[in-house]
Amino acid sequence: MSILRTQVRDLPAGQLVFPAGVAALAVYVLLGAADIVEPISAGAVGPRVLPYLVGGGMLVAALAALVSVLRGDLAEAEGGEDVDPDRHTSWLTVAALVALFALHIVLIAPLGWPLAAAVLFTGAAWTFGAKPRGRAAVIGTAIAFVLQTVFAGGLGVSLPPGPLFEGVPFLHG
Amino acid sequence: MSVVVGYVPNERGKAALHAALEETRFRGGPLVVVNSTRADRLVDPRYAQEDGLTELEETLSRAGADYELRHFASRETAAEDLLGVAREVSAELLVIGVRRRTPVGKLLLGSTAQTVILEAPCPVLAVKT
Amino acid sequence: MSLLDGFATAAQPIYLLYALAGVFLGTAVGVLPGIGPAMTVALLMPLTYSLEPTAAFIVFAGIYYGGMYGGSTTSILLNTPGESASIVTALEGNKMARAGRGAAALATAAVGSFVAGTLATVALTFVAPTAADLAVRLGPVDYVALMVLAFLTVGALLGSSVSRGLVALTLGLFLGLVGVDAISGQQRYTLGVPVLTDGIDVVLVAVGLFAVGEALYIGSQLRKGPVHVVPITKGWRSWMSRQDWARSWKPWLRGTAIGFPIGTIPAGGADVSTFLSYASERRLAKGRSKEEFGHGAIEGVAGPESANNAAAAGVLVPLLTLGLPTSATAAIMLAAFQRYNIQPGPLLFENESALVWALIASLYVGNVMLLALNLPLVGMWVKILQVPRHYLYAGILTFAAMGAFAVNFTPADVVILVVIGVLGFFMRRYGYPVAPLVVGLILGPMFEAQLRRALSISEGDPATLVSSTFAVAVYASVLVVMGVSFWLRRRERGLEEVMAAEERAAGEPAATPADRAADKDKEMA
Repeated sequence: MSILRTQVRDLPAGQLVFPAGVAALAVYVLLGAADIVEPISAGAVGPRVLPYLVGGGMLVAALAALVSVLRGDLAEAEGGEDVDPDRHTSWLTVAALVALFALHIVLIAPLGWPLAAAVLFTGAAWTFGAKPRGRAAVIGTAIAFVLQTVFAGGLGVSLPPGPLFEGVPFLHG
Repeated sequence: MSVVVGYVPNERGKAALHAALEETRFRGGPLVVVNSTRADRLVDPRYAQEDGLTELEETLSRAGADYELRHFASRETAAEDLLGVAREVSAELLVIGVRRRTPVGKLLLGSTAQTVILEAPCPVLAVKT
Repeated sequence: MSLLDGFATAAQPIYLLYALAGVFLGTAVGVLPGIGPAMTVALLMPLTYSLEPTAAFIVFAGIYYGGMYGGSTTSILLNTPGESASIVTALEGNKMARAGRGAAALATAAVGSFVAGTLATVALTFVAPTAADLAVRLGPVDYVALMVLAFLTVGALLGSSVSRGLVALTLGLFLGLVGVDAISGQQRYTLGVPVLTDGIDVVLVAVGLFAVGEALYIGSQLRKGPVHVVPITKGWRSWMSRQDWARSWKPWLRGTAIGFPIGTIPAGGADVSTFLSYASERRLAKGRSKEEFGHGAIEGVAGPESANNAAAAGVLVPLLTLGLPTSATAAIMLAAFQRYNIQPGPLLFENESALVWALIASLYVGNVMLLALNLPLVGMWVKILQVPRHYLYAGILTFAAMGAFAVNFTPADVVILVVIGVLGFFMRRYGYPVAPLVVGLILGPMFEAQLRRALSISEGDPATLVSSTFAVAVYASVLVVMGVSFWLRRRERGLEEVMAAEERAAGEPAATPADRAADKDKEMA
C-alpha cells in the first residue's frame, strides 16, 4: 500500500445512491414521526420531538453529502490490511455472504446452533477462497463445536445444541 | 527432460533441493525450482523472501546446475502449482520433501505430498527429513 | 483509599486470571489483521455475557489495552496499518523492522505503552473522582449541552467530511429511536415487528458494523496477489540498546502528555494524538535521529505509541464520569455497562465505587501483564499472522453470529445483525465513518431523556437550554474544540500527504535488497 488513502475510481452511481437512500429514509422518519401517538399527558415535549429533529438533521446531512458528491468530492473508501481499494468491488462475494447468513438463520431452529454455525463458517471460508474445500468443512465443523462447547457448555450461554446433539451434556448451556 | 523440485525455505525444502541437485547431475537436463504462495495470509513462511531467494540462487549456482527458478503467487494450492509446472515442462522426475505427521495433523491440514504423489505425471522422489 | 480497595479486589487470584485472559485475548485478536480495537471489544463482548460485572469489566479493561497493543505489533511487522491510530507506528516501526531492528521497535512500543498507560491511569485515578464530583452538580440542561458537544465533535470530526459524519450520526440517532419510547410508552418506527419494540440492541449494531460490515467489505475488495512481509530476521532477543533507551524515554513522556488530554476531550480520539506526537518528535529530533526520521527512527515509534495508549486511558475520563463516549470503542464499553444496568456517569463513583476502582486497578495490573506478556510472546503473535484469511474472516463472521444470537437467543437478532452489517458495508464502501453511528445510537436515548426532562421543568420554554452558565460555557467550547480539531485534522492530513509522498519517493514498500542498500546510503550520507 503505497498511498494511504486512495480515491475510488468508479462511476459515482453508488456514491449518489447511498446518500439518496439516506435522504429517503429521512423523509420516512419525518412522515413516520407524525404517526407516533402523542399522549395528552406527554407534556411540553412528547415522543415526536426528537424524531422530527433527527429526521430533519438526517435530511440536511444526506443532501449535503449528495451535493458534495455531485461537486466531485468522491469518498475515500476505507483502507485496511487486507483491502485493496483499487480493486473493483465484488458484489457477488457480498451477496453470497449475506445469503449464507440467511441460510444460517433458517437452520438454527431445525439443526441447532453448532451445525448452522458450521454451515456459515464453511460457506464463508469457501467464499473467501479456501482450498481444498473439504478441509474448510472439517475446520468449520470443528470450530462450531468448539464454540458450542466453550460458550454453551463452559460459560453457560444457552445456544441450542439441536435435535441431533440434544443428549450430549457438554454441549448444553 | 527436466527435474522439478518443490522448494520451501526450511530444512525440508533444502533436503529436497539437494536430492534434486544430485538427480540432475545424474540425469542431466535443467532443474526447475518451484516456490509458490496462494497469498492468502499475511505471513507465509513457506514463501521465500528476498534473503531466502538470494541464498537459494547462491546454492544453485555453486552447484553449477542449469536451473530455472519459478517463484510466484497463484490462486491454486502448492500441490497444484507444482503439478502444473511438472506437466508444463514434461518433467522426468518430481522431487518433494516430506515429514512425519500426526493423525490429527493429517486430518486438519491434508497433504500436499499425497496429492503430488497420486496425481504426478511422472515418478516422484520423496525425501524424508 | 478506594484505589487500594480496588487493588484488593483486582489482586484476587480469580480476577488476576480474568485480567490475564482479557489481556491475552485482546492482544491475540488485536494482532489479527484487519481487526482494530473497536472490533476487538465488540467481538469479544459475548465472552462477558455470563460473567458477573466486576469480572466482566476486568476482562474488558484487559481487552481494551491488549487490543491497542496488538494493533501496533501488526503495524511494526507489516507495513499495512489497520486502523488510523497505527498508521504512524507503521511508518517508522516498519522501517525499523525492515532494517533488522524490529525487536527494538517492538520493545520501545511495549515499554512506551506501559509507561504511558501507567502514567495515564495515574492521571485517570486523580482526575476522574474530581470530575465526577463536579459532574454530580450538573442538571439536565448541562447534560444536553455536553451531549450536543459530543454529537458535534464526534459526528463532524470523525471521517473525511462533516456531512458524511453527520449522516452517520443521524443514522445512529434514528436507530436509537426505534422501539418503545421510555417516557410515553409509545411505539416508534417498529413497523409492527415485535422484535423491534425492545429497540435495537447496541451489541448488534457494534458487532454488525465493526465485524460483519468489515468482513463484507474486505470480502468485496480482497487483496489478491503476493503480500509483502517483513523478513523475520533472527535475533528477536536483541532488546533495546542503551542508546535506544536514551532516545526513547523523552518521547514516551511527551507522548503521554499529548495523548491523555486529547483522549479526554471529544476531538477525534487516539489517532489525532498519534499524529501530533509524531509531528512533534520529528520536529524535535536532532542530529542522527533527524536523519533517521523516515527511515526508521525509534522516536517515531516511542512517541506515537505512548500517545495512543495515553489517549486510550484519557477516553475513560468522560466515559466513567459523564457517561459520554468519545470514541467507538468507548461507546461499545458503555453498551457493556448498560447490559449490567450500570449507567456510567457522575453517580458511578458513588453507587458502584467498588466496581469502578476494581476496574481502574485492573488497568494498572493489565499494563504490567502486557509488558510481561508481549515481548516474550512476539513469536506467537507472528504465528497468528499466518492464519489464512478465509478462516480468519469465516471465524469473525461465525463469532459475530454467535454474539448476536446470544443477545436474546432469537434468530431475529441475527437478521438485524446482517442488516446492520450490510449498512456498515455500504458506509465503508462509500467513505462514511461508522464510529459516529455507534456514538449516536448510544447517546440518542440519553440525550432525549435529558432534553425532555429539561424542557418539562421549564414547561416547554427552549430558552432553558442556555439558562445555565455551564451550558453556555459548553456551547462556547463547542466552537473552540471544533476550531482546534479542524486545525489538528488539517495538520494530520498534511502529514499524511508528506508521508505518502515520501513513500512514493522510496518506491514500493517491499524493499528489494537494492532499495535497502539505497536507504543505507542515504543514512550514511
